[in-house]
Amino acid sequence: MALDTVMRLQKHDVASILANQTGEEKDQMTTRASSSRKGGANRGAAIDTSDAIPLRYGDDPYVWACWLYYEDGMTQGEIADAMGVSRATVNSYLAEAREKGIVQISLEPARLASLTIAQELKRHFGLTDCLVVPSDDNTRPLIDRLGVAAAQALPKLLKSGDTLAVAWGRTVLSVGEHTDIASLQDMTVVQATGGTTATFSYTPELCAAAIAQSVSARCVNITAPAIVKSSAMREMLLDEPLLQEQFETLGRANRVLFGISSLRPNSTIHASGFFESVSLQHYLAAGAIGVVAGRFIDERGRPVAGPLDDRTIGISLDMLRRIDTRILVAGGFDKVPALLAALRGGYANVLITDAATGHGILRADGVTSLDGRLSQKPKVTQTPSSYRTHVKKFLNNPNQVVEEMLDGVVRAHAGYLQPINGSNRALVARNGPRSGKVGLVIGGGTGHEPCFLGYVGKGLADAVAVGNIFSSPPPDPIVQCAAAASGGEGVLFVYGNYAGDVMNFEMAAEIAEEKGIKVRTVLTTDDIASSPVEDREGRRGVAGNFFIFKIAGAACDRGLPLEACEAVTRKANLRTYTVGVALEPCSMPQTRRHNFEIGPDDMEIGMGIHGEPGVTRERIKSADEITDSIMDNIFKEMKAVSGDRVAVLINSFGGTPMMELYLLFRRVAQRLDAKNIGIEANWIGHYCTSLDMVGASISILHLDQELTELLHHPCETAFLRIS
Amino acid sequence: MQTFSNANAGAIVLSLAERIIENRAYLSEIDGKIGDGDHGVNMAKGFGMAADRLKDKETTLSEALDTLGTVLMTEIGGSMGPLYGMMFTEFAEKLDGVPAIDATAYSRMLHAGLEGIQSIGSAKVGDKTLIDTLAPAIEAFDGAISSGKSFSAALDALIAAAEAGRDSTRDLVAKIGRASRLGERSLGVLDAGATSCAIILKELSLGARSRLA
Repeated sequence: MALDTVMRLQKHDVASILANQTGEEKDQMTTRASSSRKGGANRGAAIDTSDAIPLRYGDDPYVWACWLYYEDGMTQGEIADAMGVSRATVNSYLAEAREKGIVQISLEPARLASLTIAQELKRHFGLTDCLVVPSDDNTRPLIDRLGVAAAQALPKLLKSGDTLAVAWGRTVLSVGEHTDIASLQDMTVVQATGGTTATFSYTPELCAAAIAQSVSARCVNITAPAIVKSSAMREMLLDEPLLQEQFETLGRANRVLFGISSLRPNSTIHASGFFESVSLQHYLAAGAIGVVAGRFIDERGRPVAGPLDDRTIGISLDMLRRIDTRILVAGGFDKVPALLAALRGGYANVLITDAATGHGILRADGVTSLDGRLSQKPKVTQTPSSYRTHVKKFLNNPNQVVEEMLDGVVRAHAGYLQPINGSNRALVARNGPRSGKVGLVIGGGTGHEPCFLGYVGKGLADAVAVGNIFSSPPPDPIVQCAAAASGGEGVLFVYGNYAGDVMNFEMAAEIAEEKGIKVRTVLTTDDIASSPVEDREGRRGVAGNFFIFKIAGAACDRGLPLEACEAVTRKANLRTYTVGVALEPCSMPQTRRHNFEIGPDDMEIGMGIHGEPGVTRERIKSADEITDSIMDNIFKEMKAVSGDRVAVLINSFGGTPMMELYLLFRRVAQRLDAKNIGIEANWIGHYCTSLDMVGASISILHLDQELTELLHHPCETAFLRIS
Repeated sequence: MQTFSNANAGAIVLSLAERIIENRAYLSEIDGKIGDGDHGVNMAKGFGMAADRLKDKETTLSEALDTLGTVLMTEIGGSMGPLYGMMFTEFAEKLDGVPAIDATAYSRMLHAGLEGIQSIGSAKVGDKTLIDTLAPAIEAFDGAISSGKSFSAALDALIAAAEAGRDSTRDLVAKIGRASRLGERSLGVLDAGATSCAIILKELSLGARSRLA
C-alpha cells in the first residue's frame, strides 16, 4: 500500500534551510525545531568534508546528504559525486540520519489512523492479519473500496494450490470484480453454499465464478439450492455422488472468503429472498444478529438454532472455523454488531474493513484506549533501530509453525512414519510396532529437529509425541503413542529429564497403565555439564539422546523383555557423556528475537539445548582448545582405558556448519587416539538442534560388547539408517 | 454467614474462559518480552476447549472446575498445562460435595490449589511466577476473614492482593523457567503466568461474590 510519506528534517538550523526553499516547500512539509545537537557530529572522518559543504547546510554532511536524497531526489551515487565521498559513506549518512532522528518518516493522519485501528483489531481479537482502509475517502462507494482493499490483500493471503471457499454477497462480488492475480497456479475455488434465485446480481454462483476468474482458478459450484423445502430433501440431495464430490472439495478448502450480513431491517438479506421471512422472524426472536455463509449467529458469535438449519445446504459454522485462513471482508456501520459477533465467535482470522467500522467494532467491544490516540496529532513513527532487532526466518504464520512443519515432516517421511488417529502430534513408525515386541515411545518439544521424530522407524523408536516449541507434549498424544507402540509386552518411555516433560509423561504413563499397558521410563541425563556427578539424576538429556534411543530401539527390536530393554537403556544413558558449547543464542519463531544473549566475544560451555545455563562463560577460544576443554570434562567422568571403544556424535545446534563440526571431530579423534581409545562409529551433523543456535555438542558413548551389538543393529528412520 | 451455591455455578468457569480468550493477545505479548510468546495462545486453546465442553450444560462449580483442570492437565502440555491443571483439579476436589460454599471452603480450595502446584513445581514467592499472584491473594483472603471481614469483603481483598502480586513481578528477576536465563533483563516486565493467574482469581472471585446469599 502506498504510504504518503513526509520527510522531516530536524536540525538546529533547519529553519534557515527552509528559508531558502520557501517557494518550493511542499504543503505537507512540517518542521520541528530542535535544540539538541546530534551527538555524533564529531564522529569519524565525516567532518573532513565540511569545507565543501554549501553554507546553508551548516557543517552537517548528514543534512546535506538527506536534502539531496529526499528533496532533490538524487540517487546515492549522484550524491556521492556531489559530496565528494564514497557511496558507502552516503549510505551510512542516510541510515544514521534516520537513527538520529534528523529524518523522520511520518504518515498522513487518515492512513495512520487506519493503521492504528488495524493493529488494535488484530491485537484485540487475536487476528492473523487485518487491513483497514481509510474512511474519509468518499469519492467512491465503500463496497468498491473494500473490494480494492481485498484485492490488494489477496496476493499475500493466497498461495498456489489453495482451495478457496467463497460465500456470497455484494462485498464478495466486489472483491471478485477488483481482483486480478495472474501468478497463482492450481487454484480451486469452491462455492461455500448452495445456489439461490437470481433476482440479484451477487448470487453464490456468480460470486464463486467472479473470484475463480480473478485468481485463475478452477470453479466448483454446489449444484443444489442453498435452502431446500425439507430436511428429507436435503438428505436425498447430499446422498447424490455429484454433491458428495462437491462437498469433498469444500471440505478440502484451506482458505475461505466471506462477507457478513446484518439482520437490521434495512439489510439486503431481507430483500434477497434468500431466507423466507417467516423463518427469519424465528431466528431474530432467538437472538440472531448476523448471518455468516447462510448460518445465523448471536451477539457472542454462537450459532442460533432454527427451522432452516436442517434445510440448508452449504458450509457449516464448524467447517468454516476449521479452515486455516478465514478472510472476512465487510464494512458499514450497520454491520458493526454482526461483525463483532463474527469476530467473537472466531469465524474470521483475517479482517478487511474500513476505519469507521473498525473503530466502531472496537468501541462496541469496550476498547476506548484508541480514542485518545486517534485524536492526537499524527504520531511520528520512529523506525530507526528496527534493523537487526529481529532475526530473519522462513515463516508463514508464527503461531502455526509447528503444525506446518509437521505437515511437511509427514509428507517428507511418509515412508517411515505416519500420524496416529489423524493427528501429527502423535506419529507411529511404519512397520515398527509388532506383537510380542516392547514398544519404544520417545518425544518432547519441537525446535530440536531431527530430534525426536527423525528417529522413528523400524528398529528404533515406535512412536513419538510432539509438543510445541521447547515445550512438552500433553499426556494425550503420549498415551496415543503408547497404545500405538504397544505389542502386548509393555512400552518403554525414553525422554529428556525436564520438568515439563516429566509431568506430562508421568501422567501419560499413569493413564496408559490404567488402559492395561505396562510402562517403564528411562529419563536421559547425558549432559554432564548440567550438574555435578553427585547429582547425576538431576542432569538434563541432550544430544546423547541419539545414542540412548538407538540402543533402546535395538533392544526392543531384538525382542528383549521390558525389564531387559529398560536395563540396557539405563546402561546406555549412564555411559553417554555430552557437553555442548554455545556461541550465539537461538531465536523463537513467535518473537523472532534472541531468547538470551551471549557477548560478542564470549562462548558458554555446557549450555543446554533450550539455552539453559552452562558451567562457564568465557572468551571464545580456538576450535581445538574448546574441544580439549570438553574432552577433558568427559574424560574426567568416563573411565575408559586403553583399548576401549566408543561411538562419537558431533552435533550442530542448528547454526553451526558442517565445516566447523569436522574441525571438532578431528580434535576429538586425536584426543581419543592419544589414549588408544578406538572409534567404533561416528556421526557428524544436525542430530539434536536448538532452532538456530550457533554452537555444537560432543557426545561420547562408552561401548561394551552388548552396547556395540545393539549400536550396529539395523534400523530404518528418516535420519538414521543402519543395515 | 455468606455462602454461594455450588449448583449451577459452573457458568463462572465459562466467564473465566471468556476473560482468558479475550486476553489471548495480551498474554502472548507480555510472554514474548521474556518468554516464548505463546502463553496467551496456549491458555486460550485450553480454556476454549473446556468452554466448548461446558457450554449449554448446567454444572456445579466443582464439576466445571474439574472439566477445566482435566483439559489443561491432559491436552495443553508444557509446564503451564500440568500446573494450572493441577490447580483447578485441586480446586474442584475441595468443592466437590459442598452444596453451599462459605469462606472456609473457599479458603480450603485456594490452599489446595497452591499446594497442588507446589507439589509438582518448585517455584517460591519471589521467583517471578504465578505463585507471586496466588500466594499473597490467599494470604489476603485468610487475613480478611480472620479479622472478621465478610466473605464478600475478603473476596475483594483477594482480588486486590492478586493484582498487587501480579504487579510485583515487574520488579522481580526470574528465578525459574526459561525467563530465568535472561537474569536482570527480565526486570521491568510482568510475568505472563502471574498475569493470567490474576485474571483467573479475579474472575473466579467476582463470580463467587455476585452469587453470595
